[in-house]
Amino acid sequence: MTKRPFLGWFASPSILIAFGIAASFLAIVQYSFRANIPGALDPGGFTLENFTTLWKAIYGDAFLNTVLLCLWTAVFTLLIGYPLAYAMVRARSVRLRSAILLISLTPLFLGEIVRTYSWMIVLGNRGFLNAALMQMGLIDRPIPFMFTMTGVVIALVHFTLPIVVVMLAAGLSHIDRNLERAATSLGAGRVRVFLTVTLPLSIPGIVAATSTAFAWTFSAFATPQMIGGGQVQTISTLVYQVGFASFNFPLAASLSLTGLLFTVAVLAIFNTGIRRLERIGGH
Amino acid sequence: MRKSLLDHLLDWAGRIVLIAILAFVLLPFVVVAIASFNDGAILSFPPREWSWRWYANAFQYRDFGAGLTNSLKIAVFGATIALIAGAGFAYVLDRYEFRFKNTLNGILMSPLIIPNFTIGLGLLILSAAASLPRNLWLVVATHVVIVMPFVVRSVYVSLQNFERRFEQAAESLGGSPWHVLRTITLPLLAPGLASGGLFAAILSFNEFTASLFVVNQSTQTLPVAMYNYVREYADPTLAAVSVIYVLAVAVILLIVHKFFRLEKVLNVE
Amino acid sequence: MSSETRNDAAVQIDGVSKSFSGTVALEPIWLKIRRGEFLTLLGPSGCGKTTLLNLIAGFLEADEGELFIDRELVTQVPPHQREIGIVFQNYALFPHMTVAQNVAYGLRTRRVSKAETAERVAEALALVKLQDFADRRPRQLSGGQQQRVALARALVIRPRVLLLDEPFSALDRNLRTAMQVELREIQTRLGLTTVFVTHDQNEALSMSDRIAVMSQGRVRQIGAPDDIYDRPANLFVSTFVGDANLFDATLQGVQGGAAELIVGGAPLPVETYQEDLPEPGPVTLFVRPEQCRLTGAEEQGAVPAIVALSVYQGSYAELHLDCAAARGGRIMLRVPAAKALPAGIPVGIALPRTGPAIYAVEDADKEVA
Ligand SMILES: Nc1ncnc2c1ncn2[C@@H]1O[C@H](COP(=O)(O)OP(=O)(O)OP(=O)(O)O)[C@@H](O)[C@H]1O
Ligand SMILES: [Mg+2]
Repeated sequence: MTKRPFLGWFASPSILIAFGIAASFLAIVQYSFRANIPGALDPGGFTLENFTTLWKAIYGDAFLNTVLLCLWTAVFTLLIGYPLAYAMVRARSVRLRSAILLISLTPLFLGEIVRTYSWMIVLGNRGFLNAALMQMGLIDRPIPFMFTMTGVVIALVHFTLPIVVVMLAAGLSHIDRNLERAATSLGAGRVRVFLTVTLPLSIPGIVAATSTAFAWTFSAFATPQMIGGGQVQTISTLVYQVGFASFNFPLAASLSLTGLLFTVAVLAIFNTGIRRLERIGGH
Repeated sequence: MRKSLLDHLLDWAGRIVLIAILAFVLLPFVVVAIASFNDGAILSFPPREWSWRWYANAFQYRDFGAGLTNSLKIAVFGATIALIAGAGFAYVLDRYEFRFKNTLNGILMSPLIIPNFTIGLGLLILSAAASLPRNLWLVVATHVVIVMPFVVRSVYVSLQNFERRFEQAAESLGGSPWHVLRTITLPLLAPGLASGGLFAAILSFNEFTASLFVVNQSTQTLPVAMYNYVREYADPTLAAVSVIYVLAVAVILLIVHKFFRLEKVLNVE
Repeated sequence: MSSETRNDAAVQIDGVSKSFSGTVALEPIWLKIRRGEFLTLLGPSGCGKTTLLNLIAGFLEADEGELFIDRELVTQVPPHQREIGIVFQNYALFPHMTVAQNVAYGLRTRRVSKAETAERVAEALALVKLQDFADRRPRQLSGGQQQRVALARALVIRPRVLLLDEPFSALDRNLRTAMQVELREIQTRLGLTTVFVTHDQNEALSMSDRIAVMSQGRVRQIGAPDDIYDRPANLFVSTFVGDANLFDATLQGVQGGAAELIVGGAPLPVETYQEDLPEPGPVTLFVRPEQCRLTGAEEQGAVPAIVALSVYQGSYAELHLDCAAARGGRIMLRVPAAKALPAGIPVGIALPRTGPAIYAVEDADKEVA
């Protein structure tokens, strides 16, 4: 009896793709240990120099900026995303639910460029926000949003919000409503029901959303590049600059590799921290 | 049932917060729509004069047309390949035990954590090292790597919810494994496969960062063409493009919502 | 095993066993299912009924042992070549096909001609009285109708064996009874070898030619319904099938074919159908409620008890009695509803001299279902 009749047919394409992924990863590892020969595209001999270069201040700053961006973005996205997800799952009218769903999820399918460009128009010195504030007489000189961390965080929150809402809503929608009804019947008010039942039970969703928000922000390029305009350097913008402005691909590779190891480390720490939290949440 | 004052306050606070958040989500799109009709090459709010000229400009700019063609080609090829490979892998993942299953799964899912700029850089270096041409297929390959985890996940969920009894009944009635696959499994999985493929196509169409690393002048995608435009020109042409983009996506989503119900596709029911 | 004994078996299971990652679902089982027989697998949840059915159908591969269908060794034959009809609890009708297409499925896989397919589909639908529903989709049918389609779909291929896994458990009581009768009629008419899985003992007793009572991956007794009910082979079968009253008793010895028992302080000679009796000493006496007779409290030789609760059941009433001599202190009797007694009344129970069974005490500790 052939018990796995389709194994060969179905697995082969993905095995091919997996080899491609593994090979490109190895290419990065390999390049990050090679010397750069200015003016030549092929790398030179083996060296550790790329990694010692990374100790320079501009690279350290880029790491710090990236971490700060990830942190602020995660915090604000969760604060804004949770009420939205809650309303999306719990709104009584089907139309309202559909409307919230479409409004909050359409940006997910718009890509980074359209969204970032739109924010450039909102946040620019002659942009919508400053024009509106000046018209109202609240300020008399434009507040600089472009080329600042604040501006980048605002746009990044907007960028990560949809995926965070999806993950929070998935978590919330799987909470058994009867648990909340039980708590109400036992005399708990709405606030107490939320704090003692709903919120603890949605911890897995919050955790999943936070780690996704982190990964998305870390990997964002267009937003820090276009809104940061070179003033807010992150790992992603630096990799691009080192690669395509200086044509130093070995250094770009080592920067990418370090960034990747950093992501993996953060997500790993995150995951172990989460197990503790989940125990509190009763999972 | 009478509501307490606190309940009323909560209701109102909730409504205000919800409206404020939705306004934040919608704000940039409203603003970009206003800006796209601004007659002057330099933005001002509110616009002094209105015109359609930037829409005309958007349609005449050669790179956008070429980028759109490239993006559509890449999305179709990329999503098809990702769907075939991803659905096949989801199937063996769900049904079979085999050696290196976890390794294979780990590698194929890794693009979910590996930043797109790293994926782009890696494939660029790989293609250079293997002296592969930097043509459209390199972009397609990059997109397959990036969108495949999403396809695998969505098909895998469909398979997990799939009623195995249907296949067993068909088998007991004399259907060979291929026949059962063709007449039972595939037709019943069709909605999941369609939404997975569509999702992959949309993701591919929007992909920017990794593409930026692997495209050249002749293979640049629409998002890359748009990015290059902003770097060169400050006029609101891109605002016009953005408006068209948003409307197109919203229409597609509305259609998808009608047929598949987004709540189900995104598992937020 | 001689080839002759194999001859009359439609299905022969020779030492087939199955474990799932270490946990044993089915101990090695030997079982012969006769041609045209209606055999029921009866047992509590998790005892391995579905596992056994899946092994016969070929959806699972046996860890060891051999399986024959019509004398053909099929242990290695994949399900689609076994010529078996199967009906599932949730029907498993293909939702993307009409009723007729569902029924025709097994004929299409066999490349039966169009004309013959149409004829046989119509015939099968007529058999289950669904001629007029051929073009409906499964979701437009009631549960009972869906069940009939599933039956027609399995029958139309003229299977060598029909397997049914709790087919009626989702139906309401009246419909279930109707379907039971209908299935039995069709099965007898076609002379179809049938293996039927249920955990409903009434269903098993009323439908089967033979019942195999299972527990924890083993067949504990196999026999005709009256064998199972009147002459259970062990305490598990006694208590799982039908109601049982158990008494703590002392076995003093066997004299002239009768076992000398002391129950509730009074001597009781009992003739049992059992061939092996436990060692003299403390034993457990098993008596069906209908074998016990209610008497006055003072009656000679009766076991004393007190009415604890009377439960009205329409045509009769269940009297639950507190009884010091009973295992667990409780027994149950059925009396005509008019003769129900209020709680607190002392009564006596006269035990029968023939019929009950005697088991070792340690059996009672682990085997009561
Ligand atoms: N695929 C499986 N993997 C692991 N264990 C299994 C699997 N299938 C069955 N089992 C275990 O094998 C035992 C027998 O299961 P089986 O389904 O045969 O029981 P059953 O008699 O049909 O019960 P029920 O009346 O509830 O349907 C159970 O303990 C069950 O947990
Ligand atoms: Mg079962």
